[in-house]
Amino acid sequence: MNLWVAITIGLSEIAAHKFRTFLSMLGIVLGVSSLIATMALTYGIEVGTRKFMQQVGGLEFVSIPSKEPSNKQYEFANLSPGRTLRDAEAIKKSATFISHVSPELAVNTVVAVDGGGNPERRMVRGVYPDHFVIGMHIIGKGRFLTPLDIERGTRCVIIGQLTATQLWPDSPPDSAVGKTLLIDSKPFRVVGVLSLYEMEEQSRARKAGSRGIKAMTGRRDPFRSKNEAVLIPFSTMFQEFQSGLYPLDSMDSVKLDSLTVRVGDLQYFRPALDQVRALLDITHRGVDNYDLETREEWFGRVESSVRASRLSGGLISGISLIVGGIGIMNIMLASISERIREIGIRLAVGARGRDIFIQILIESMLVSLIGGLFGIAGSLGLLEILKAISPTENVPILSIESIFLSLGFAVVAGLLSGVYPALKASRLDPITALRYE
Amino acid sequence: MSLIHLEGVSKVYRVGDQKIRALDEINLRIEEGEFVAIIGSSGSGKSTLMHLLGCLDTPTTGRMNICGNELSSASGDQLARVRNREIGFVFQAFNLLPKLDVVSNIELPLIYSGIPADKRKARAKQTAIDVGLGDRLSNRPTQLSGGQCQRVAIARALVNNPRILFGDEPTGNLDSATGQMILGMFDSLHATGKTIVLVTHDSAIAARSKRVIEIKDGRIMREYNP
Repeated sequence: MNLWVAITIGLSEIAAHKFRTFLSMLGIVLGVSSLIATMALTYGIEVGTRKFMQQVGGLEFVSIPSKEPSNKQYEFANLSPGRTLRDAEAIKKSATFISHVSPELAVNTVVAVDGGGNPERRMVRGVYPDHFVIGMHIIGKGRFLTPLDIERGTRCVIIGQLTATQLWPDSPPDSAVGKTLLIDSKPFRVVGVLSLYEMEEQSRARKAGSRGIKAMTGRRDPFRSKNEAVLIPFSTMFQEFQSGLYPLDSMDSVKLDSLTVRVGDLQYFRPALDQVRALLDITHRGVDNYDLETREEWFGRVESSVRASRLSGGLISGISLIVGGIGIMNIMLASISERIREIGIRLAVGARGRDIFIQILIESMLVSLIGGLFGIAGSLGLLEILKAISPTENVPILSIESIFLSLGFAVVAGLLSGVYPALKASRLDPITALRYE
Repeated sequence: MSLIHLEGVSKVYRVGDQKIRALDEINLRIEEGEFVAIIGSSGSGKSTLMHLLGCLDTPTTGRMNICGNELSSASGDQLARVRNREIGFVFQAFNLLPKLDVVSNIELPLIYSGIPADKRKARAKQTAIDVGLGDRLSNRPTQLSGGQCQRVAIARALVNNPRILFGDEPTGNLDSATGQMILGMFDSLHATGKTIVLVTHDSAIAARSKRVIEIKDGRIMREYNP
């Protein structure tokens, strides 16, 4: 018997019992739609997380915090100059696997506008041009710092969007370029405004209408510090804010507030760390008062939680697909016991057991396939709802693969649940089947 | 070589631990072109014989050869092939599929012969016209009279051009006038050279055949030419 005939017979059988078939395929419908929706949801979370990880500097980002030296080194710990610009220079010159080095000085001080605006207390950072790459900044308007700014100690400043709107609430953030602001009463010219950094949810909320740029409820906003940035040249920072504090300090020996590096190629991640460690052991005279903080562990945790949510979502939907399959098996069994006579007639005119088997199997697959198609339609609706009420900042992303995968699973569920009824039907004895009332 | 050749065929059913010998050492030959009636009262074993001849079942012991196929211990697929190609079956209860129209019912054996759809439809339609149902092609069995139903069944039995046509009480569910008409169709089919085997308990119907085989208690009691 050819396949097309089996399909037509199956379709007409489904058409003859529309409501019953629909009820029995409901499990598949729900299974497929929830599978697609979960996959879209976790995919959204995954993409959102990846994007976030990229935005915060990715795995290449390694920070070098200082730490208390160990007890046995305590007595000669003073020999170490601590984290200084020399470290940064040494890394930049000699650590070939490190692409960017960003030493930083920070001062918490008041930022204001002459004759108006709202004075704000801000963390002002003195940075190198490399900070642009390490901080994953995007310039919105104007420029970032140049080596010339460092060399000359110019009084220029780059600010984040949030800082711009707070200082000049009446004009768009980008128009801050060229204006002058006061950092601890010292005038600085704004040469660049950074782009607005935001999570998906914020950007959607903003596009949806509420024009104002607000800081999200504090601690949850991972971009807050970037949006509130006030960045000036490292040398200017030293000269203006720190040179007087300790008379013996030079710019080379001032203790850094932060030192971060970026590994050029992740393939050489370990060697890069070894290079940095070797150099710092020299500049710190063997005192272990520094640490190398990578993000492997953090990212690993994030990755595994994404994996876990994908697995659990998939598992739950998988279970509902199995339930759907059982529903189909049930209806196929009911259908064949209703059709024993028909099967007997087909056998009498020359159908082989195999023909009956294929026919029942095809029917069961058709039910699941149609259920799966309904499920796809259902998942589109479900996703719209999820998008509207999405609790995370990660919008669900529908992928073609997830559609085909779920449909495939549905068909397999139909196939498997059809095997037993099909086997049962194909083993009917023609005489008994013909006599069946 | 005979069209149907049974040698020492027995059929034993097991009911619990009791053995029921439905057929006992049957020897039978039916040649091409014969018109045979098998008669017997109910429980005589005639239906069992019919099922064996119709390849719906295999004998417990003995040799059975139908249309050159050795079927004593044939597989289900082999039997299905013979049922499909060599045999047409007409039942007392018509056994039509109520969901299918006349043409689709007649078409059924051709589906299992693997004949392409367009040829199938054409042949089924032609056969329906041959049995006088030209104006009923797209009716469902429920919309037809008993006689018309049986004609659909005959058309279905004939559509694959089998060598043997079996009738199992083909007039049992019909009034006598309609029954006569259906028997007339068997007569004229015989006249065209088809081998026909009828099973009946009605000796008047058996009398229309050329050879009567009377079965009792699973054995052939006697054979005569009416």
